Formats: sequence, structure tokens, C-alpha cells
Amino acid sequence: MSIRKHFFALAAVALGLCVVAPVSAHHSFAAEYDSKKPVTLTGKVTKMEWTNPHARFYVDVKDPNGAVTNWELELGSPNGLMRLGWTRSSLKAGDSVTVEGYLAKDGAKLANAKSVVMADGKKVFAGSSSEEGSK
Amino acid sequence: MRTTFFLAALCATAVAFAQAPKGSIAGAVTNPNGSQAVGVTVNARLTGSTTTARATTAAGGKFTLADLAPGSWDIAANVPALKGFEQKNVMVEAGKTTALNIRLEEGTQMSTLGEDTLAAMAHAKRHNAPTGPTPRTVDGKPDFSGVWWQPVVTDPGKPEWLPKAIEIARQRTENNRKDSPQAHCLPSAIVRARPLHQFVQSKDFLVEMFDDDSPGFHQIYLDGRQHPKEADYLWYGDSLGHWEGDTLVIDRVNFEEAVWLDQDSHPHSEMLHIIERYRRPDMGHLEQEITVEDPGVLAKPWTFKRVAELGPSETIREFMCTENNRDLDHMVGK
Repeated sequence: MSIRKHFFALAAVALGLCVVAPVSAHHSFAAEYDSKKPVTLTGKVTKMEWTNPHARFYVDVKDPNGAVTNWELELGSPNGLMRLGWTRSSLKAGDSVTVEGYLAKDGAKLANAKSVVMADGKKVFAGSSSEEGSK
Repeated sequence: MRTTFFLAALCATAVAFAQAPKGSIAGAVTNPNGSQAVGVTVNARLTGSTTTARATTAAGGKFTLADLAPGSWDIAANVPALKGFEQKNVMVEAGKTTALNIRLEEGTQMSTLGEDTLAAMAHAKRHNAPTGPTPRTVDGKPDFSGVWWQPVVTDPGKPEWLPKAIEIARQRTENNRKDSPQAHCLPSAIVRARPLHQFVQSKDFLVEMFDDDSPGFHQIYLDGRQHPKEADYLWYGDSLGHWEGDTLVIDRVNFEEAVWLDQDSHPHSEMLHIIERYRRPDMGHLEQEITVEDPGVLAKPWTFKRVAELGPSETIREFMCTENNRDLDHMVGK
């Protein structure tokens, strides 16, 4: 187990004891996404929207036949992400990423991003950027 | 000889009595996506008593609550940004292990990067409330000015909802809260604790600002005015404050019908009256006692308490909700 994983495990214990209030969202997860439909997408970022109520980015994903689909990925709001040390340039057009998330219920090419990993293994928008930088 | 045997038997009985056989509860906790949840605290309470036990999940998400008295136990596990788990009346038998596997579920949260468990933990790490005496204004009143982290509920109270309110909340929840005003970039629930909020105080008013709500501010008048004779219904209500010693008492009425009362999707009626009592016992803490009176939705007044920590290095960022609210097109109900 890495030091970072240790930290998260310990932090989770501390949180369990302190009953820290959760962050709150602008809208309900269940209204838009299906927790029973996880998805993994790999491709190149085409655009970042550092906007409210949620930041978003778009990824061109190639299927085995070479057809390209542009997927929309939803993040938290810029205020929450910036408090974690991330900025509008943490992810840029042209970056190669693998995104894990949950599919939209309405069948759109849309998912909410649970993790974003760059080609070099660096995680973006997870935890805080200072911890990512120290790994 | 006989006496010795008798004493030995007596002692053995006493020891056996003192060490009445215990039982345990064991299982594993998994995340909504099926991964193992490590480091989660599982709390147990002997039903109807103050006896508690606690275990933390280890590798594989596994936990064991050992040395539990036989009987009925209530189990709870809370992970930030996920729905709280609760199961009452888990039976424990002497000398046996009761199996309990916990599958955490997504809550009303978005649970996306920046609004997930890791974000909540990273935010919590930034909490470092300063110490020192209560700051005061030039006229000697406590000064609530500052940016405050989302308060932690210290006493949830016991709201007794009327059946009509329960039914509306159920319908809204079943419909995935699709029609919540907040999702439509209107103000969020009245008593919702926002991730951060800021107070700016002067002698005649207190302004509260948020950075995840629109329009993101409301005023509390401290200048001695009265509520308007003819109600002017407002999303944040009409809020007047007065001092009782070092406590600021805020009286709120005249709420717009469309605003939801709390994060559990309850409605309110035009009889809603909220009394908030704020104290700043020291530099770093803000205590809030909130009483909700509404004979239209509650059988009796509901009082709950929460405490916020000062976030001196935090700032409130602007939140233009309608800038890019693309979610509405994709939201589905029941």
C-alpha cells in the first residue's frame, strides 16, 4: 500500500469518527446517472469548460472500427475543484486520458467522471493536487 | 477438602458469569461500484441503550465488531458524499458471528470528481480553525464576519413530519429530486448547510453569501425594523435579527412557496417560521441552533444544532448557475 493510500485510509477513519458533513451537489446523481452502468473511456481531450454549475470536459473516443465519438464528462463545480488545488488548465485539449464514470440514464454520450488518469498515470481532479504532486 | 472444592466451583461460576458469552457481527463494506471500502468506520449501538462498539474496515473492506453482548444492535456507517447506511435490530447470539455485508449507495450527491468522498476528505484536511477570543464589533457585539465551513450537525433533533409532508418528500425523492429548485438554478433548501458560507456584518445588517447557490446572498436586518404587514414572499424569507446578550436571534418568515425546506425534500407551508440563534463562543467556531415551526408540515417545532469552523484562508467564488446548466436536458424522473 502506497503512502497516499495509507493517508486516505487514515483520513477515512478520522472522518468516520468526526462525522464530517458531506459536500453538497447542485443536483441529484440519480436524476442523471445510472450507478449500475459504469463506463471506462480512453481518448484525447477536445475541450474543457471551466463553468458553473459544473465543470465539464469532452473526449474523443475511438471505437475498434475507428469511428470517433465525442463524449461529455461532468465534474464538480470550479469552486470545489479550485479548493482542491486544481485549475482550468489542469486538463487541456490534446491530453490523453482514461476516464471512469457512470453513464447518463437518457442514453446521451455523457458520463460523470469518477476518476481521470493521464497517460503518465497521474490522476487529475482527485483528492488534492498537492498530494498528487508529492507522489 | 470439600470446602476448597466448593470455593473453586463458586469462583468458576463467578468467572463464567462475569465473562458471559459474547457474540460478534462481521462482514465487508463495498463501495457503490463494487470496490472494497477500506478505512470505513462501522458503528454499533445496543438497541435502546448507550452501549456502543466500533470497527474499521481493513483490507478487503472487512470488519468485525467483536465482544458484543447478545441482543439487538443498530448498525450505521457513514462515508462522506455517499448515502448513510443504517440497519436496525441486527441480532447477536452468544458464541456466534452474525454476517452483515454493507453495500454503500450513491446519495443525493453528484459523487463526481470535486464532489466525492476524496474531495470531502481533502476539504476536511484544510480545516484548521484558529483559536482566540470572540472578535467583536466597535459597539461590543460578537462579529460573525468571516468564511465558515459547512457546519457539522451536533444535534439533529426529532422532526415530526405530518403525513402530507412525508408524502410530498417521498414523491420528490422517488422522482430523483429532478424538480428541486436548486437543479433549476434557483435557491437550494432553506435549512440546507452549504459547503461554505460567508457573513459580512455591520451594525444594521448581516449579509450571508454562498458559492454554490443562486443568487447566493441574503440580508438579515439588524436595524430594529418589523416584518412587513403584508407578506412579501421571498425565496430566502424575510429575516430580522436582534441581540439577546451575545446571541444573535434571527426571525425568518414569508417564504416563497416553491422553495424546499430541507435536503430531504420536505415542503413548507405559508405558516413557516424559523428562529435561528447564532453564537460565536471563540474565534474559530460558530454555533447555530435552528428552530423550525410550521403547523402545516410539522406536528411540533423541530430544533436542531450545528457548529461551523472558520475557514480563514477560504474565499467565496462567484457562482453563475445559469452559465452552463446543461444537466436539465438529461434529467429523468421516476
